[in-house]
Amino acid sequence: MEEILANINGVAVQKFGAEYAETRTQKLYKTMLTLKEGRVEAAKQGIESGVALRVLVNGAWGFASVGSLDAETLEIAVSDACKMAKTASSRLKVPIKLAETKIVEDRVKVKPKKNPSTILMEDKINTALSLNKATLSYDKRVKSCTIDYLDLTGTTYFANSEGTRIEQDKLYVWSRITAAASSKGVFTFSREEIGSTAGYEVFDVENPEMIGEKVAKRAIEQLDAKPPKGGKSRVVLGPNIVGVFVHEAFGHLAEADLALSGGVLANNLGKKIGSDVVTFYDDGTIDGAFGSFKYDDEGVPTQKTLLIKDGVVTGLMHDRETAQKFNAEPTGNARAENFRVEPIIRMRNTFMAPRDYSLEELTEDIRSGYYFKSFRGGQANLDGTFQVGIQEGYKIVNGEIGDPVRNASISGTTLETLLKVDAVGKDFELWPGRCGKGQTAFICDGGPHIRVKEVIVGGSA
Amino acid sequence: MVALEKDQMLNLAENAVSIALKKGAAEAEAYVYEGQATNVGIERGQITKTNKIIDRGLGVRATVNKAVGFAYTNIIEGQNAIEDTILRALSAARASKPDQDWNGLPEKKPDVAAEKIYDRKILELHSEGLVDIASSMLDAAVSVNKRVFPIEGGAGTACLSSAIANSNGVTGFDRGTIMECSLAVVAKEGNTVTPVCFEFNAERAYNGDPAWVGKEAARLAVAALKTKQIKTETTKLILTPFALQELLYFTVINAVKADNVQRNQSPFQGKIGEKVASENITIHDEGLLPGGLRTWTFDGEGVPHQKTTLIEKGVLRNFLYDNYAAKKEGKESTGNASRAGYLSTPSIEATNFRIMPGNKTPDQLMSEVDNGLIIYYLQGAHSSNPVSGEFSVVATPAWKISKGKIAHATRGVMLAGNIFEVLKNVSAVANNERQMGQLIAPWILVENVKVIGK
Repeated sequence: MEEILANINGVAVQKFGAEYAETRTQKLYKTMLTLKEGRVEAAKQGIESGVALRVLVNGAWGFASVGSLDAETLEIAVSDACKMAKTASSRLKVPIKLAETKIVEDRVKVKPKKNPSTILMEDKINTALSLNKATLSYDKRVKSCTIDYLDLTGTTYFANSEGTRIEQDKLYVWSRITAAASSKGVFTFSREEIGSTAGYEVFDVENPEMIGEKVAKRAIEQLDAKPPKGGKSRVVLGPNIVGVFVHEAFGHLAEADLALSGGVLANNLGKKIGSDVVTFYDDGTIDGAFGSFKYDDEGVPTQKTLLIKDGVVTGLMHDRETAQKFNAEPTGNARAENFRVEPIIRMRNTFMAPRDYSLEELTEDIRSGYYFKSFRGGQANLDGTFQVGIQEGYKIVNGEIGDPVRNASISGTTLETLLKVDAVGKDFELWPGRCGKGQTAFICDGGPHIRVKEVIVGGSA
Repeated sequence: MVALEKDQMLNLAENAVSIALKKGAAEAEAYVYEGQATNVGIERGQITKTNKIIDRGLGVRATVNKAVGFAYTNIIEGQNAIEDTILRALSAARASKPDQDWNGLPEKKPDVAAEKIYDRKILELHSEGLVDIASSMLDAAVSVNKRVFPIEGGAGTACLSSAIANSNGVTGFDRGTIMECSLAVVAKEGNTVTPVCFEFNAERAYNGDPAWVGKEAARLAVAALKTKQIKTETTKLILTPFALQELLYFTVINAVKADNVQRNQSPFQGKIGEKVASENITIHDEGLLPGGLRTWTFDGEGVPHQKTTLIEKGVLRNFLYDNYAAKKEGKESTGNASRAGYLSTPSIEATNFRIMPGNKTPDQLMSEVDNGLIIYYLQGAHSSNPVSGEFSVVATPAWKISKGKIAHATRGVMLAGNIFEVLKNVSAVANNERQMGQLIAPWILVENVKVIGK
């Protein structure tokens, strides 16, 4: 296997004059379940094996993906990739170059307490059934419950023309629980995700009964909730919302490819854009977290990357291409969802660092505002306009957290909002999620509770 | 890799079904898929990359005692890989729980034909032709205005083939082509950067217009440079297909899926024959629409595609069914089982979800708006409440309409409402329909939507 791959990289360099070549191979196994109201829709098992070949010829990228490990097929594919890169390079104004990175030879093994590949399908179904039961039995107004489950195990091999060789085990366990409740013509909806790179033992911590109850309770609570009044408001955001804000409103703008594309951070490196209490990281090194890994898909070691320190932009997330453009070090953020796609800059575990306030201290000065605790989707634009939908929120009246509100969302612009963060809590939570940027990446985001002087609250229909 | 022939794919599927039956499946279905795609990519103002992706595989569904198992593989060379996949589908079924509502796989129905879904010329483009297309799109964008910066886009072709067989004698083979080009641009002036403006062309046959795509994306971005704030009010909106696609995908399209209706997750439950939308609204799901982006001869279970009327002049007529949901009600599948290639089991999805055009020109529609907004791109629609239809989204950007003309762009405006109320408040529909993903829609004019300004 290793020899075939090294040979393929050799073909690109020697026969086609590629400046750089890499092969990424995967042999992965997936188990998936979907349960609806406890009915197992189908128990699913899959194999995905294939090779991604990427070459840099005359400063342009060529990429080929094949679901085969056959040497001859791979040689044809790499030839195609090189020829296509040459065609693309014909109109190139600024050739692509790569930042240097250390040559690595490594074998990364995972050591789960409970490897999902050795857990019986029956047991996985039973775990999903107990999640379902806890959700549906909470209240009879909970009308439906969908459980999705996925585990992925296997090995990836990376080899490039510079001599880097990495064999890396992969392990992901993920589940999503959604519940819908209805009563008197009001429909509500609630969702929670579990995600880990540690092992199936995540269900020992994320106890199915507790999670089911949490999802159901939220759906029920919203039945009596009123939409918030639209307009500007002072808010306290919980770790789950802070996480999605850090990820969507700031994180994407700190991806160097988007910064180069006209994102608002490109001109703000080294400048103060947030209040003194704002410090953000993107960290791929947290044990067991859903966004952690040892090497990225360009063979660069992951790291803990400081993005904003005390309000000042200190760095961006890079792959080897953007690092070269910014004269920076690659940060290990190049990730590819699978062998069908090219690596692009993605976040890992992105969070805000805690400070010193308690939740009480954050809310006590607010005469009228909102406490937003859990999100339902979020999105941002290159110009820094962001929107975060809220699935769990409450009014704050005279410093006290009061009645629930439903179908709220918040929006604003990133740069204005970061300056309006006026107090940061001392607690900390990290939440698993999946991020879409053409490809899906497993990530975490989080932080402490924070208080923001002003955001736009949308909701009242 | 060489593309698989029709006979190879059909044989593989039929062979897999017969092995599964021999190994103890009560019923079996095999789906073979192959996708070949070539793309040329634009990044930050230039063509920087190309790719060629060949993805093929086999997915097998098998039942044992009314329990369903599924397994897939993308390695289909050799009998061992096939047998192993079948055995894994069977072991998954045996580990699973019986489903009392499982009433068997689909039965054989007469074949139907789909028009204008395959064009050889698309496949003769190769990377050279795609580089030309991408270049003319880029050049057109930049020629509009020097403040325009193309950030991302490309041109691509794909040929998709699928074969299916099941133990009830259903067999089918289909092959189609798609070509598309797209460009996302921003406009920059001083420290101002506009939100991302986007245009695209997607066709089943070789007749795209890349220069139009480039020019239109650029025109919108330049028009978004100078913004003015607007006040919070309840007003008229023109929703373009871009906005409709976002708003409908997570809400209305889910509400007409029979499984959601059966599971109490649709506000349309029990409302067949009732008025659920303005009488200006007629919606069909047209699985055989000539040249439609989601047009195929059969669905993910081998059931022929068809035309299903969902809403007729505001009255709810039908829901979308796959085989499972249909048999649960003693009905026929509407051919709406969708699959993600070989990787997934079927689930209900719209094909070409078509909001029928009206007879007003876009200009006439605009002239009916004394005060309102025209909405292109929306952010945050995926955070809508999928069951109730309540949304709270940001328009990035939107344009203010005064006295029937575009007055200025505005940014960061929030729209809040309920999509099912929006459908009831459609006062006019234009004649300029176009397709985006599964949605085909014209501009529509909506009354009384709350917009939250700054």
